[in-house]
Amino acid sequence: MVEFKCIVQERAVGPKLWGELEARLADIAAAVLGGSARDVAVAFEVIPHGFGFRGGEISTTSLVRGQIPPGCAQEVRVDLMRRICDMWCEVTGCTVEELVVSARDRPAADA
Amino acid sequence: MPYYRCVVPKDAIPFEQRQRVAEAFTDVHCGMTGAPRNFVHVTFAAGGAGEFAEPYFIDGGNRAGRPPELKERLLGELKRAFREVTGVPADQLGGRITEGPASWSMEGGHVLPEPGEEGPEWYGDTAPAHPVQATAEPANR
Repeated sequence: MVEFKCIVQERAVGPKLWGELEARLADIAAAVLGGSARDVAVAFEVIPHGFGFRGGEISTTSLVRGQIPPGCAQEVRVDLMRRICDMWCEVTGCTVEELVVSARDRPAADA
Repeated sequence: MPYYRCVVPKDAIPFEQRQRVAEAFTDVHCGMTGAPRNFVHVTFAAGGAGEFAEPYFIDGGNRAGRPPELKERLLGELKRAFREVTGVPADQLGGRITEGPASWSMEGGHVLPEPGEEGPEWYGDTAPAHPVQATAEPANR
């Protein structure tokens, strides 16, 4: 199972985009890591305006935090993160500077 | 990264204090690690029942690879700053900093460098920048 938690700022990425983001995250994960897009879980968490900051200022940045099967080669991990960056910016219209992506190994206990 | 999630009781911290805490955390983190200011993320969330033992909790996530003593001092300074701004008693505030490999994260389209391996561009004008909104006070929440 691959899981993504997307932490978005209230006024930056609206719920209307979530369906497409979810589907395309699943497709990217399946294409890069193998397996089925149906086995990819995506959740969204909204940071209300005034509750998220970057550099001490109100933030517009989204965080896409992935958990992937352990042991992934670094070049595969980078390919995954880069494809997510490209897709996210295309769908949301944000700049790459407004996005943090991570692809962490799933803890062994959950593997 | 770094990402500091402040778990607090609902409506306990007004906007003005949230912003001051975010500024203080940015000062502390950058002062102790040399990281660019725009890499420091701070969010506030209402704590769920039993998520942490303390009603106020700083849940931090940083790049791995710094000395444990630095991590301990960093958390101590973050707690001090939080208490200074909010007036929360020490016994009501908990905290932790978990770490992950820098190479597992991409920010501004770049894989993050490991601590101590940052090139000069990390500190200079070419460090990934980000746009910020005008810091207008939002509706009271």
